[in-house]
Amino acid sequence: MKIALVNGSPKFKDSASGNILNALKPKLQDKNIIEKYSFRTTEISNDVLEQISKCNVIVFAFPLYVDGIPSHLLRCLYQMEKYLRSNINNEIYVYTIVNIGFYEGKQAAIAIEMMKNWAEKANVKWEQGIGIGGGGMMSMLDKSTDRQGLMKNVHNTLTDAANNILSCKSSDEIYISPSIPRIAYKIGGEMGWRQAAKKNGLETKDLFIKK
Amino acid sequence: MKLLIHDLSKEEFNDLVWTIKGDVKVIDDNNTIHNCLGCFGCWIKKPGECVIADDYDNMGEYLSKCNELIIVSKCFYGGYSPFVKNIMDRSIPYIHPYFEVRNNELHHRRRYENHFETSVYFYGENITENEKATAEKLVKANALNLISNIKNLIFVKDISSIKELEGVTI
Repeated sequence: MKIALVNGSPKFKDSASGNILNALKPKLQDKNIIEKYSFRTTEISNDVLEQISKCNVIVFAFPLYVDGIPSHLLRCLYQMEKYLRSNINNEIYVYTIVNIGFYEGKQAAIAIEMMKNWAEKANVKWEQGIGIGGGGMMSMLDKSTDRQGLMKNVHNTLTDAANNILSCKSSDEIYISPSIPRIAYKIGGEMGWRQAAKKNGLETKDLFIKK
Repeated sequence: MKLLIHDLSKEEFNDLVWTIKGDVKVIDDNNTIHNCLGCFGCWIKKPGECVIADDYDNMGEYLSKCNELIIVSKCFYGGYSPFVKNIMDRSIPYIHPYFEVRNNELHHRRRYENHFETSVYFYGENITENEKATAEKLVKANALNLISNIKNLIFVKDISSIKELEGVTI
């Protein structure tokens, strides 16, 4: 089976979507051919469109932007829709993992519905959507193991998703939140913003600037 | 000020049945927009302003000065068109990076004190019932995140026939 892992983050490196796909990849069996793609810009080449159209499974991973799909990825999806809807060569199964800067994974539900609507128009088979809250913590995925630590629930969810992917099985949407209390995520996140601003030579009060 | 974001061509826009008068800032597509890079520079480098230098780096400021947001967009999969979504993505300097709980969920705090109402006009020949349902949820979620009230949410097949806009002056 040929599986395309599509990273829909606009970032060149260190994206949460990339962290998630890196954690998912080893959970997919070696005998499968796994191709990684990065849709950072607004256009996909014809070569990539053709390659993806020949895959059995596409797994999208992207960040939630303003309750929806990032605009550059939306442009790519429209291009894919036009290409794939006339694709009669093989059935393509689609899974989507959305990461969210907010705490609650369920805030990805609208973006996942959009991907379902896309799948219908692109003539591909929708299988499952997953929303992962606490996107700011996904860099920990690279360092954590499956059975312990704060990323345990993310790993478990990705293991379940991988099992579905390997059998091309459809399943209900899953939404998960971090395994730390919401208040801790809020405090940690806000501390992170202050530290990032400081690195840029700003003070905390500058975060409140009005134009 | 009213803020009107649309994805229409000049001809389509001029053919609309509404009348535009008064203080209206129109945001349209001049084919130079860059996509949001997820860098958060609008929060931690130049707070309140997008760091991508093009014609669309002041969306936060425009939103802070508007009392009504009007969006005219082709419906894509139950959401906005790529251009309008691009504008929405570039609008996060309007809000503050800090979190607060609203509707028992984390959302970003407001940066500004203004309040605006939102009207959204989706158009498209083949908008499915599922897409309409998704779009309704999207507009509600956007209103919650941007701390706005929904004034109108309308779906039409043909943008030139938005009867609700006949005689409307914005």
